[in-house]
Amino acid sequence: MTIKNAIRDYGQRYRPRMACLKKAEKVVLEMQDPKSGVKSQPQRLVITTIPHAITGEDIVAWLADKFQIDAQEARSVGSMLVALGYIYPLQDHKRLVIKPDASLYRFQTPYFWPTQQWPVEDTDYAIYLAKRNIRKKGILELHEQEQYNRLHKWMNHKWDFIVMQAKEQYRAAKERKKPDRVVFDCQERAYWVVHRPPVRLYTHTDEHILLTLFCFLQMIFTQQSIMRPRVKSSVSIGALVKFCTTYHTHDPFLCKPLPSNPWLTDDVTYWTLNMLHVEAPTKMRVERWTFSFGELLSDPRGRDDFRLFLKKEFSGENLAFWEGCEDIKFGAAATMGEKAEQIYKTFLARGAPRWINIDGKTMEITVKGLKHPHRYVLDAAQTHIYMLMKKDKYGRYLKSPFYKEMQKKAICPEEHKFTDVQLEQNSRNRRPSLSPIILRQQEQELKAKMAASAPVDITQVMSKLSNGFMWLCQKT
Amino acid sequence: MGKEECKTMLDALNKVTACYRHLVIALGSTSDSQNLREELKRTRKKAQELAVANRTKLTSLLKDKTISKEDRAEYERLWVLFSSSMELLEVDMKRSLEIGQDFPLKVPTRHLIQTGMTGSTTTVAARAMSVQNMKYEADSNIDTADLRDLQSEITQVSHMMEEMEMKVQVAPWAVEAKQEAGAELKSNMSVGNSSVGVISICEEEPKEEDGGGNRDAGFASICAVLVFFVIVIVALVLGYLVINMS
Repeated sequence: MTIKNAIRDYGQRYRPRMACLKKAEKVVLEMQDPKSGVKSQPQRLVITTIPHAITGEDIVAWLADKFQIDAQEARSVGSMLVALGYIYPLQDHKRLVIKPDASLYRFQTPYFWPTQQWPVEDTDYAIYLAKRNIRKKGILELHEQEQYNRLHKWMNHKWDFIVMQAKEQYRAAKERKKPDRVVFDCQERAYWVVHRPPVRLYTHTDEHILLTLFCFLQMIFTQQSIMRPRVKSSVSIGALVKFCTTYHTHDPFLCKPLPSNPWLTDDVTYWTLNMLHVEAPTKMRVERWTFSFGELLSDPRGRDDFRLFLKKEFSGENLAFWEGCEDIKFGAAATMGEKAEQIYKTFLARGAPRWINIDGKTMEITVKGLKHPHRYVLDAAQTHIYMLMKKDKYGRYLKSPFYKEMQKKAICPEEHKFTDVQLEQNSRNRRPSLSPIILRQQEQELKAKMAASAPVDITQVMSKLSNGFMWLCQKT
Repeated sequence: MGKEECKTMLDALNKVTACYRHLVIALGSTSDSQNLREELKRTRKKAQELAVANRTKLTSLLKDKTISKEDRAEYERLWVLFSSSMELLEVDMKRSLEIGQDFPLKVPTRHLIQTGMTGSTTTVAARAMSVQNMKYEADSNIDTADLRDLQSEITQVSHMMEEMEMKVQVAPWAVEAKQEAGAELKSNMSVGNSSVGVISICEEEPKEEDGGGNRDAGFASICAVLVFFVIVIVALVLGYLVINMS
């Protein structure tokens, strides 16, 4: 069915929040009080006399007196009341301002007051235009005619209803006496001047600008929603299930880690065995390297292993380049430019010492980008090298005897079986671990050493450093 | 025939909705009074009776699977008419509740807005109820007592409309209107094209500032043309006489 009032009026008309309406209503109630409000006088038309007309100057004077403000401000307040629709002018009904002279105004009936919760419906406007069509015998004003045609097009399915209702309302209004009929027509006309102003006479008001902006934003939103990549839920759920089954045994929450969970037994063997650069990694860790290339690279021990393997294959520059790009991406902004230069000299320039093999197009883009280096300037080349390593070297690594040896060497610790007494003892022997600041310093030292002596026997350096870590751990 | 019955009932509902709207517009203004509240109440009740009758009839017609395609299209069109009427009615009822609560009649300082309307709305209500004269018999506290009834009636109407949406599967945007633009200028009155009486649209317009001016201008131009012709005829006659004389 049709969209009810309770649902938000998407894009039909911009409806600003009007907190001032309640206050304006209070002012109007006071203004129209017969004793203490604005003085009213009868309006004399050709045949009839209609009471309760007020002059502009009286309104301004009353407002100035009531709120103790000067005439200019009173005029602005009055004009605001007219613009909102609480008072309407009887002469020159299209200009919604207060003229501080003898021009006449009248109060609007509460049904036609502006409200927040009752949006102004196009159906009502169509009925009003149809009634006006009957009154004016088919000769509507230009903007009214345009609106009429537009509504006839867009509300065509309701048009029978609109015609019927217009005729009935017209006849119902005719049942009243002449002065009331005149007042009713004036009221309705004033209501629609406020809520459907003749667009041609006024330049773009704020409302129109906001409306166009709102429509524009809506259009962008809907276009983006259409273009959003959609994945079938069967596919995404399948991926989720695969992830869960693969990592199930490796999650310390779901399966018991070996030897024991340090948080439960206060025994830190698990952590010492899985430190960043241990000599002999655990079996679980080695198994994780087979899951994906990303896993291998993100584990520092795995990366070291891979580096050794690549050195044997004489293609270590790929990994070094990749690490350099990561460094730029996640490093400090100050040293970014120099790092980029360094990388260019070492890896990309013609005749560079560790020249990497990327295709011509990517090289072109990268070199062009290096003229104005930024964090992601080497992204294209990095992705290329990453894919190269993943497709080619990673598979070879997993099948190589190097890796198989590593698998054999990997330790599988025994599960601890602590008694309660031992657990108590463990909890008493708790010690804080190495400070992260120290750890970070050591990492950086290691990096510096590696960078300085690039193609060097890394395993020795690694074992030396890992020994150093163990010693430090024991000391603290 | 079911269709004709439907159309007459829809006409009646349409009339009552229009009158109800007119009465609600008068709420809170100087033409508000005890009588107006009672008129609102009775019009509302009549509208509800008509609504229920219409709904039963239309639902039974639409549920019938053996009707032809044209018939079904026609019933869907009637259904759209009915639901649009009901929407208007519901909004007007809610608004009358709001305004009725804001403008109670029996407080010591009455705050009815001086809108310039001072006459009564008896004739409108009489039109809605299809009677000659309205008789008023309500108690003096109708404005507060009625509001409670009104609240329950509003919930009833909302329920009815929700049920309607659930039971009947009609796509309102698919309905094509029979009337074209400017159809209100013709003197066909009801849905069923039955000539109940030709209303003359060209009748006296209520005088207002610019409207009066227009009419005066019309009159003046006709008078001027007449005078011109009279003068021309007189001149011709005189000329003829002069020629004859000489």
